[in-house]
Amino acid sequence: MKCKVCGKEAVDTYCELHEKAYKNLMEKYEVWKNALDISWKEYLREVAKNAYTGSWVKEVAEQLMRSEGG
Amino acid sequence: MEKYALIIAEKPEAARRIAQALDKEGKPEKFEEKGVPYFHALRDKRLVVVPALGHLYTVVHERGRRNYYPVFSFKWVPRYLAERGSKNIHAWIEVISELANGAEEFINACDYDLEGSLIGYSILKYACKDKENIAKRMKFSTLMKSELEKAYDELLLHLDFGLIEAGKTRHEVDWLYGVNLSRALTLAAKRWSGRYATLSTGRVQGPTLKFLVEREKAIQCFVPTPYWNIKAEVEVKGFVYEAEYEREKIEKKAEADAVMGACEGKTGEIKEVEMKKFRQMPPFPFDVGSLQAEAYRLFGYTPRGTLNIAERLYLEALISYPRTSSQKLPPVINYQAILNGLSKDRNYKDLALGLLTKTELKPLEGKKSDPAHPAVYPTGNLPERALSEPERKVFDLVVRRFMAVFGDPSVKQSMRVSIEVNGHCFYLRGRRVLEAGWLRFYEPYAKTEEVLLPPIKEGEKIRLKHVMREDKFINPPPRYNPSSLVKKMEDKGIGTKATRADIVETLYSRGYIAEKRIFVTSLGFDVAETLGKYCPTVVSVELTRDLEEKMEQIQNNQEKRENVLVEAVDRLKPTLEEFKTRETLIGEALSAAIKRAKMQERIIGQCPDCGTGQLMILYSRKTGKRFIGCTSYFKGNCKTSFPLPQRGTVKPARRTCRACEWPLLDVRMKGRRPWALCFNPNCPLKEKRN
Repeated sequence: MKCKVCGKEAVDTYCELHEKAYKNLMEKYEVWKNALDISWKEYLREVAKNAYTGSWVKEVAEQLMRSEGG
Repeated sequence: MEKYALIIAEKPEAARRIAQALDKEGKPEKFEEKGVPYFHALRDKRLVVVPALGHLYTVVHERGRRNYYPVFSFKWVPRYLAERGSKNIHAWIEVISELANGAEEFINACDYDLEGSLIGYSILKYACKDKENIAKRMKFSTLMKSELEKAYDELLLHLDFGLIEAGKTRHEVDWLYGVNLSRALTLAAKRWSGRYATLSTGRVQGPTLKFLVEREKAIQCFVPTPYWNIKAEVEVKGFVYEAEYEREKIEKKAEADAVMGACEGKTGEIKEVEMKKFRQMPPFPFDVGSLQAEAYRLFGYTPRGTLNIAERLYLEALISYPRTSSQKLPPVINYQAILNGLSKDRNYKDLALGLLTKTELKPLEGKKSDPAHPAVYPTGNLPERALSEPERKVFDLVVRRFMAVFGDPSVKQSMRVSIEVNGHCFYLRGRRVLEAGWLRFYEPYAKTEEVLLPPIKEGEKIRLKHVMREDKFINPPPRYNPSSLVKKMEDKGIGTKATRADIVETLYSRGYIAEKRIFVTSLGFDVAETLGKYCPTVVSVELTRDLEEKMEQIQNNQEKRENVLVEAVDRLKPTLEEFKTRETLIGEALSAAIKRAKMQERIIGQCPDCGTGQLMILYSRKTGKRFIGCTSYFKGNCKTSFPLPQRGTVKPARRTCRACEWPLLDVRMKGRRPWALCFNPNCPLKEKRN
């Protein structure tokens, strides 16, 4: 299977690097929810536009927004 | 001509200084043959001082072609036989050999370290025909006349074979790793793609690149988390100060808002005023790493750049030998004489004379030591020529640091005022310098920002004029810069004080890393990932450090060169065999990486018309001419294109036009000065010119 972001060989949905970014993204949602009381979609939007977000995380967030129709 | 002693120096400038110092009248006679300078000096006997030009000999493959691996047999040969562009070395060796024929005594006066010892040894062995066992050694840390005279009068009776063996081993082990791994990478890529592209790695380069890749991964996978902090403007005796909320980070926005609501416009009461006095000790003398770090922090000079400058200053006898890991300044360097010398410069006069009035001059020293050299210090000589700005800055830094280490501790006072407001606490902080101590000597480089608070008493009421909430995010780990990377290598025990800066430069020149705040390019990333995946031992920090330790043991005569070489080969062999079995896979991965890197090199920036595609340097299939086109063209979305000069080389400059902010291109043409091209046809700068 190919990575949904970069087309490299996928571990699961993503390649090794984007998979790591995806895991971080999932993990940190709880912190954001607690801090700002925001929904998953709002979270993805916020993370995707944040200047400190790593580019692989941004790519995963954008891919998730597209696939979830956000 | 009577027989003479042949003294071998490391560089021409060092040879001139040595000859001048040793000649009875300070006026050695200069000769030149085939472009090689040498000097005749007269002392107790006739002396001929001839310089090397760094290493004149190097390691090469014993026999055979260049395009296979593994290769484990090597020999030492003159550099001109191994490296392109080293033709002048031929003449150098010839002249030294001729001079050796007339010599009855041989002295190695190259820098007293691994490289200097090896440079002198290989010249004595090969160019002078096996004179290494009868040669003597001059040991010095500065090129000052007095020290050179002392080194000559107290010659070491033998060469420093511990250093020589360690130096040889380092070169040989590095050659074994470098040549085999670089050939393996290059050939794997070539066999897969049919195209040649040089890829390289090395014993220290691999693990260093690995640190960078690990950091890059952490940055690219980073998810920032929000937090808030609260500050308040408070008015004290007519002046406005900024106070910080008791909690540095508030993790919930609602909580932060609640604090603001509770404190805005309220009056607080001073609950406590805490004063603390503390002493700040002077810094340690400079070893090469701390000098490089400080020059980067203050002036932005790369470690390699700083070392180059420091070496120039050393060759002019302005500072001591810079490649040292010592943080110690022994009294034998004569502190008073140095300060007396420095006091002749009006910039240092008051400071130096001030120190000279002290009853005892005792430097604060660090733990690190170096058996060969003390810490970096000024010799007390003043520049005979106008120094360039970087030279002047580094010289000034070394001088001021030297004086600072003799200074008294500085005494500072901090003040923390606790203000209670509606059940919350804010801190108002002040700080001041009570006694400058060593800061006086190091002043431009160690600034203390003072915040002076007016006298405040407990129980006083203070109004919070304004309460502010700052929205913040946890930052990703910082990128390495050349200086922090050298520090990291030092902490991990890989490379040496003399080689670390060069290794960082090599990573830049290979295109594996870029920018001052280092990011790993896709090529660097893929090379490191491939090595990590298929031959992890090559990028292992532990194995590299282990080898470094063994080489240090050779230096101390606790280990033999042969054992270390055998061990290096034993480690390399299985790695290379494994590599060979997976060559196709590796070749595919590397070829893709090279292709991506080449594509990346041609990308100029985002298309100003469609905003989605990337502008790229493309080549017309019909005419072969180059132009700028948008990548969205291939999807049928954008037809933006711009013409380009057809001669010379054109590369994205990675900076924007100051007038229109479009990306710039660097253009280089034979016979013309390189220039930055803005390809925006409507750029205001072009209109102005027209």
